[in-house]
Amino acid sequence: MLVELAMIETRELTRRFGGVDAVEGLTMSVRDRGVVGFLGPNGAGKTTTMRMLTGFLAPTSGSARVAGFDVTDQPLEVKARVGYLPETPPLYPDLTVGEFLLFVAELRGVGRSIRAARVGRTLEQVGLRGWEKRRLGGLSKGYRQRVGLAQALVHDPALLVLDEPTSGLDPAQVVGVRELIRGLAEERTVVLSTHVLAEVEASCERVLLLHRGRLVGDGTVDELAERTGTGGRVELSLDDETEDLRGPLAALPEVDQVERTGPSSYRLRGGTSLEPALAAWAVGTGRRVRCVVRRPASLEAVFLALVGEGT
Amino acid sequence: MTGRPSTVGAAWAVLRNDLRVLFLAPAGWVFLTVCLFLAGLMFVGAVAETGEASLRPAIPQLAVTLLFTLPLITMRQLAEEARTGTLELLLTAPVRVEALVLGKWAASMVLCLGLLAATAPFPAVLFLYGAPDPGVLATGYLGLFACCAAFCAAGLFASSLARDPTVAGALSVLLLLPSWLATAAVDWMPASFAPALRRVSFVEHLHGAATGVLDSGELAWFASVTVGFLLLARASLALRRWR
Repeated sequence: MLVELAMIETRELTRRFGGVDAVEGLTMSVRDRGVVGFLGPNGAGKTTTMRMLTGFLAPTSGSARVAGFDVTDQPLEVKARVGYLPETPPLYPDLTVGEFLLFVAELRGVGRSIRAARVGRTLEQVGLRGWEKRRLGGLSKGYRQRVGLAQALVHDPALLVLDEPTSGLDPAQVVGVRELIRGLAEERTVVLSTHVLAEVEASCERVLLLHRGRLVGDGTVDELAERTGTGGRVELSLDDETEDLRGPLAALPEVDQVERTGPSSYRLRGGTSLEPALAAWAVGTGRRVRCVVRRPASLEAVFLALVGEGT
Repeated sequence: MTGRPSTVGAAWAVLRNDLRVLFLAPAGWVFLTVCLFLAGLMFVGAVAETGEASLRPAIPQLAVTLLFTLPLITMRQLAEEARTGTLELLLTAPVRVEALVLGKWAASMVLCLGLLAATAPFPAVLFLYGAPDPGVLATGYLGLFACCAAFCAAGLFASSLARDPTVAGALSVLLLLPSWLATAAVDWMPASFAPALRRVSFVEHLHGAATGVLDSGELAWFASVTVGFLLLARASLALRRWR
């Protein structure tokens, strides 16, 4: 039997700060490669979870394994395999980009002979080629974030942990960082946290929804949507129809629910074969279709449903 | 890639980085300038007062100066990193806490060595106009060096406790102050307290070194204070994970 090794495995992971549970009984498993998003409102426990996975904080109880190593018993093994970008990029303002990355590479055990080459490659990856001599203190927010990513990447870690990687960036920078993260996830596991729903929809294959330190949802956006009954809808718009067709539409076996949103437009819910069924129905009854389009599940609806559930 | 630096390798990296940060910012230069200026005054004062070709009276004075000026350097070492977030980088690197503590302590010691080296013109002047005892000068410098080691370790420990460099600075002065005050207290406290006060006073432990008598007990005192504070700094950093 082929056993797939999990990159992250937590069991009843709990972290308490002075009697308050920041993370409570978190059990999850993340397999190798791809992007997983920690989503949750501020104070949900995302940062605390990440800090435990990176060895910065010790769990109060429960356990977490990264790449097969326990974060409490083998923290150095874990740290050697993790690249971490905290919410504020940890930069020394007086150093140059090059000096800083060489220092981080040395601290993370990149051998002297390949250090300069690794730093060069990393700078290329994050789009900072030619920026070696710039002082960190003089960089704009977007570039600081890139250097932050570079320091997390310089030792080529198997797991990349990014705390709010796009917060405070302008839209163009957000797109750039998202593309970068997708590229990085081809060769490694990326865990990112955010409270921005669009972020998760844009870059994550899987979502872990945290609320008040607890895991309240786990799956793809579509799976979560299905679970909470906030799944995808199909919008149907017909040409020159003013007749109310809710009855005939609802009679179709694929259709679960119909809503009339205009004189000749409808919003329907149903199975995955809804669009072809609607098209066939329209053709069969001699109606002209202006458009049939599936609106993907809105994470916002999922989020509200699950967070509401959790309270 | 899953490399891990050796503890010595990591300490060496931290040492170089700390020194770079120290001298790119004004802190390192301000410290050296202030200390050298004060050391110059003490040297002139000592020679004028005693008429001797020696640094004897200047040694304890210089040590007291360092008690107040070295925190300017050590207070930043961990507290500043905690404040700006770079401590998170250091503590998530695959590096033992010992390496961080040793690297940072060694960085401040390099600075102290630089300061002591920069005072070389003072003994040079003595040699030019008199006949100082080179042995006494050497033990005097050794005593100051031992004193620096202890102060740097105490400052680093204070810096590991605070999140604000200013608080860390005040804290390290507070840690060391009793050891200095004990010197003066010997004179006005009841005589029965004198042995205990002498034991905690760093000035008392500099006496032998300043007068050319190398006392292994005195050096051991500075060594144990140094090691003690370094161990405390290590424990305080390691405990951050659990706080």
